[in-house]
Amino acid sequence: MGVRPPAQWSKSLNRWLYIRNKAGRSFFTILFVVVLNFFLFRVLPGDPARQGIRDPRLTQEAIEAIRVRFGLDKPVINCIQTVNPLRFGSCEVNPLETQFFIYVKNLTRGELGISFYYNRPVSDILGERLWNTVLLIGGGQILSIIVGVVFGVMAAWKARTSVDYGALITGLVAWSLPTFWLGIILLFWGSSHGFPIGGKATPGMSSYPFMTQFTDVLWHLVLPTLTYTIVFMGEYMLIMRSSLLDVLSEDYILTAKAKGLSTFQILKDHALKNGMLPLVTIIAINLGFTVGGVIQIESVFSWPGLGGALFEAVSRRDFPILQGGFLLIAISVILANFIADLLYSYLDPRVQIE
Amino acid sequence: MSIQTVEVKAKVPSPSTNFWQTYRQSKLGIAGLVLLLVITVIAIFAPVLSPYDPKSSAGVGAGQVYNPPSAAHWLGTDDAGRDVFSNFMYGARVSLLVGFFASFISVGIGGTIGIVAGYYGGRVENILMRFTDTMLVIPDLPLIVVIVALTKPSLLNIIFVIGIFGWTTTARMVRSQTLAVKSRKFVLRARAIGAGRRHIIRHHILPLVMPILVVQAVLVVSVAVLNESTLSFLGLGDPTALSWGQMLNYAFARGAMSTGAWWALVAPGIGIIWVVLGLTLVGQGLEHVLNPRLDTHHLMPGRPVVVNHEASGESEKPTEKNPLLEVRNLSINYINEGKPPARAVENISFTLKEGELIGLVGESGCGKTTLMLALLRLLPSAGQIVNGQVIFSGKDLTALNEQEINAVRWKDISIVFQGAMNALNPVRTVGDQIAEAIIKHMPGFPRDQRLQERVIELLDLVGIAADHKEHYPHQYSGGMRQRAMIAMALACNPQIIIADEPTTALDVMIQAQILELLDSLRKKLGLAIIFVTHDLGVVAEICDKVLVMYGGVTAEYADVDIIYNESRHPYTQELLKAFPDLTKPKKKLSSIPGYPPRLDALPIGCRFAPRCRLAFARCHTEQPLLQKLNDSQSAVHIASCHLLEVSK
Repeated sequence: MGVRPPAQWSKSLNRWLYIRNKAGRSFFTILFVVVLNFFLFRVLPGDPARQGIRDPRLTQEAIEAIRVRFGLDKPVINCIQTVNPLRFGSCEVNPLETQFFIYVKNLTRGELGISFYYNRPVSDILGERLWNTVLLIGGGQILSIIVGVVFGVMAAWKARTSVDYGALITGLVAWSLPTFWLGIILLFWGSSHGFPIGGKATPGMSSYPFMTQFTDVLWHLVLPTLTYTIVFMGEYMLIMRSSLLDVLSEDYILTAKAKGLSTFQILKDHALKNGMLPLVTIIAINLGFTVGGVIQIESVFSWPGLGGALFEAVSRRDFPILQGGFLLIAISVILANFIADLLYSYLDPRVQIE
Repeated sequence: MSIQTVEVKAKVPSPSTNFWQTYRQSKLGIAGLVLLLVITVIAIFAPVLSPYDPKSSAGVGAGQVYNPPSAAHWLGTDDAGRDVFSNFMYGARVSLLVGFFASFISVGIGGTIGIVAGYYGGRVENILMRFTDTMLVIPDLPLIVVIVALTKPSLLNIIFVIGIFGWTTTARMVRSQTLAVKSRKFVLRARAIGAGRRHIIRHHILPLVMPILVVQAVLVVSVAVLNESTLSFLGLGDPTALSWGQMLNYAFARGAMSTGAWWALVAPGIGIIWVVLGLTLVGQGLEHVLNPRLDTHHLMPGRPVVVNHEASGESEKPTEKNPLLEVRNLSINYINEGKPPARAVENISFTLKEGELIGLVGESGCGKTTLMLALLRLLPSAGQIVNGQVIFSGKDLTALNEQEINAVRWKDISIVFQGAMNALNPVRTVGDQIAEAIIKHMPGFPRDQRLQERVIELLDLVGIAADHKEHYPHQYSGGMRQRAMIAMALACNPQIIIADEPTTALDVMIQAQILELLDSLRKKLGLAIIFVTHDLGVVAEICDKVLVMYGGVTAEYADVDIIYNESRHPYTQELLKAFPDLTKPKKKLSSIPGYPPRLDALPIGCRFAPRCRLAFARCHTEQPLLQKLNDSQSAVHIASCHLLEVSK
């Protein structure tokens, strides 16, 4: 076998390499998104700053002030004056004096521009809203995972029975529901059953004691969270079912059975963790998709989160919000993905860098 | 690349697979196909079928807005007084159009990237897959929303934007399939004779990647339909094309909620669900064809034992005084819906004394493993004990309930499975899995340091160093895993160990080690062992008694010396000829032509008759009974062969 480093040592080294590898990739992806976000808004005909200065009410001086403030008088990047229409310029420019580096420099300071509509810094507006979205995603994600795992395990355990078929069909239908439509239907039903018709809090609540405010927010959260849970529960259930079916036909389950363990012990100690592994990866991959669902839910329920901000920005053509919102969402998803990778390496001892 | 683990294991369907035959078995797949066919017909013939022209709201009075369903308007009218039912039919056109063309773009891009990455490998693959991974992480709906918001909202733009962001999963799946296909013989051969890359990709790779592309295309269409409706709902749709999402946008924004016009909200939603569910179900059907999955698992309830206290069997059974384990006329069937049951094991009897080692010999597929699993009632759900008893210390194991048999499992009788590769749980340490058995069956055992010491002691017994206790199975070598399984089998001081081909798949040196280990443990601990093998050499070395099985029945059963020196059944004799004998170096080895019978096509007569050189007419028509032979001093010698009856 040759000389090998002690297994304990190589294990921790492997994990460290794995984490470093994943961190490197996440960083690379974030850089990619930052660059993409910059050029997207300059290639496509909706450059935030240029859109802003088309307003006929602005005076020539004001336009010039905005141009200087957003650096529009400077070339986009070395050798390229503007991207759309494409015009080449001098390559002898100081790179720090280009629009791209001003954008990067502003980003590092957390500056995402000024909202056209609110006339306030985008970072302030989105910062408030980020937590509302985290609240919605957090609650919905936890609930849908619990429900999905429980029903998925039941379905796999009772494979080929009416329990299984019932769960399978429920899961497939839930998966096929358009998120925004389910939200509308629940809102339609809820508004006639005493549920709030949207928003995060009842107007005028801020003067009430904390607990009253707290329950008010929870009350507003019920329908959005329910929508989220139903839509994602279906997918998690289907994945859990199929992954557990694979696990339960493995040899080590037969070993566990031969050891005299009860069905419950086998499910709990031998099947669940192994069956959860694919789910962790799917949840991570799905985060991007999840955010799509959140945009829809927040639009329907006028929930003041990032998705709602994006939706409003679309109709108001508030491009700085759109740009900043997309960047913030993308970076959050990438970071959440990285965390899921770390969790995976903790759950599965076999994980190694490939 | 972390996400490879979730990819569907791509299997290449054999060309003989009749696609439709298999697809038809999936009820969900059929339902999906019907749903899609109906909606496609509606979409194509919308101008003929729809009662109203969707664009004309001319002649509509104020009273016609949001009218509830009626004879004139089956699904009511919308905010502009238009017929919802007609709009629904036209909406199907937009959704299907966007879905189909966007999916075409996605699958085209994903397929190309996947094939190129998989086939060319190296740096090309590295760059392409890194790009794919990056795109996979970027949330696509926000990106699509941003891009559509920045461009003109036309149907063509929407198709294009949805299409170019939906290819990532396709690329990954196609790449792994291409990798699998690339290393197959016919591709290697084509490369060896100098076929060009384009030729190989077009004629050898593409046909085998096609099924994956089709499944992906179906799933991508459903995502595209959902994305289009979301965009339209958010107000980014093409204003000239009234899609279902658009209908919902108008209804939601223009007071359907407050006027209680549920029909304007429900109808378009049903349309979207209809299409997406149809596509998903078709995906399930295709999946069933491409990746047929076993429909059973180890936790499905077993079939009830056919209660038979007076185990029937007219033939001879071995009798011995006070055996530890006595198997009487055990018969096991595999139940196959719609077909006659397969008689996997028939009328097997044997006894086992304390400290005795019995060898169970036969070719693969002779029912050895089935028999062993039945002893502990571990048969898969299709297996059923239809006759016989398993008497262990006065109890009939076939008559125990689940809880009672669980108490016997491992505590009294433990089992070492064939190929311990997957018999240990990969995500728990070996020491933990050994301790688990002790905790389960020895409730009085202290759960402190002493438990850990006991685990170390057990590992030491099989020659595994204490520091391997905290390791996971994948850190063990094959031989170590097998020894760890034996340590686990010893954990609760059982009286019997069933060793089901424990040395198969191990190299010769390790095989010898494992055998030596089992034999020494037997002597040290007074264990009784049932050793299942197809290797007569192993049997000669360590067994006391031998049961030779063929096609699920006993061929011959006797002490090991008799089997070697005075075997009477032609099958035993043939097996011996196939086994090298060191005392007669010049002897020629011979093999038995043919294969053991398939369980679903057992011969009418003697099961060995088709391969027996001594078979005569009666062998092909009548199954021989087991009979006792009194030819030697041996306590017992039983065989089933018509030749022996003749000679008697």
